[in-house]
Amino acid sequence: MASSIIWWAGILLTCSILVRGVSAKLLARYPFFYAYNLSVLVAWVPPLFLYVANSPAYNTWYWIAQLLTLIVGYGILLEIFKHVLSPYPGAERFARLAGIVVFGAIFCFALVYPLVKSHGGASATMVEFERDLRTVQAIFILGLLVVIAYYGIEIGKNMKGMIAGYGLYIVTSLVTLAVRSYAGASLVWIIQPLSYDVSLVIWMIALWSYHPNPILESSVRLEAEYEALVAKTRGAMGGMRSQLGRVARP
Amino acid sequence: MIQLILFSLIGALLVFALFFAMRRGPRTEGSSTALVGARQALNSLQAGLLPPELVERIFAPEDYEFVASQAPKDVRDLFCAERKKVAIMWVDQVRQQIRSLMRFHLGSARFHAGLSLQTEIGLAVDFTGLLIACRALQVLLYLRGAYSAPRMVGATAATATRVCRISEESLAFLNAASIGGLGDRSAGAARLL
Repeated sequence: MASSIIWWAGILLTCSILVRGVSAKLLARYPFFYAYNLSVLVAWVPPLFLYVANSPAYNTWYWIAQLLTLIVGYGILLEIFKHVLSPYPGAERFARLAGIVVFGAIFCFALVYPLVKSHGGASATMVEFERDLRTVQAIFILGLLVVIAYYGIEIGKNMKGMIAGYGLYIVTSLVTLAVRSYAGASLVWIIQPLSYDVSLVIWMIALWSYHPNPILESSVRLEAEYEALVAKTRGAMGGMRSQLGRVARP
Repeated sequence: MIQLILFSLIGALLVFALFFAMRRGPRTEGSSTALVGARQALNSLQAGLLPPELVERIFAPEDYEFVASQAPKDVRDLFCAERKKVAIMWVDQVRQQIRSLMRFHLGSARFHAGLSLQTEIGLAVDFTGLLIACRALQVLLYLRGAYSAPRMVGATAATATRVCRISEESLAFLNAASIGGLGDRSAGAARLL
């Protein structure tokens, strides 16, 4: 009963987000985000009917829908990356290079992991697979947040909501799947769809209307090259360090 | 169990990062207001707050010698405690200058498409090292007092001058025309008000 309510509430909220996206003309601005929401709606309606009908095909459909929405969910990360970092080429380059390094490390891990891991049932494997993909998403969003904080990048209400909503869902999914993988199926299964509904509410509020990211005044861009900036900063720090050393000496 | 802890740790880190990202207030590095403000702060530091003579006066051992020779122990102790507070506050100002320089660098570097990941990581380590050094100096002053190091007076004054010069160099990155334009615009806004 509880699961049905959560499920229907999720579908209702997703429909509302899509309708609001159309009426507020946000679809063209955030196409990946709305494509994700549409894919969730399309992918989750068949399993819902199978669940209500108590069909044995439900499990298969569940994992197909879950994996499909998980992969399309990477589009939300792309959307955030594009909108938050595109006005800052330096920070974008930093995030891109860091992302490539992280992706390389995860790819290597994915190649080695099947060789060393113990084999469980098909369901256990799917839980672990989803957990691992959620981990990749968590690391990407974590890296993005570090870059945003480090370079003091301003984010608008839309992006804040998108990050908070998806981040919350990723965290809940990651921890829930880790617990399921460790302890098997338990009561925690309800937490993941429930947290998704909470994320939908956050998105609904944050994406009610268009709020662009704050734009800095372009007239105050610096003319100096990056190398010159780095050299000056290094020189300044070197001077400060030597002076501080002298102060510290008795 | 290790896996569970590892994934929970990643989750906790993400919650922590999300919390701070949502709470973070507006920062205006790179905006005209911040840059004009930085210029004004530098001017007031150079002109009023940190001239070498003033810093030399704050750390002058002669003051301590005079108080030690003329006043009772209670007054001497109070004097030392007050001077220690002043010295610690001065290091705090140096720290703020380093932070200001760091913010200015990051506020500028984020626009440069030719940014180097290696260099940025190296600079981040350097900035962190300097900020830690300042904290260590504050601890040293707190434990040993402002008069524990005889050479501190000269070095203090030199550092004060140096800090102001560094800030000036940092602000010199700005295009002179932009600064002029900003000044004009600020004057215009003031006239309107």
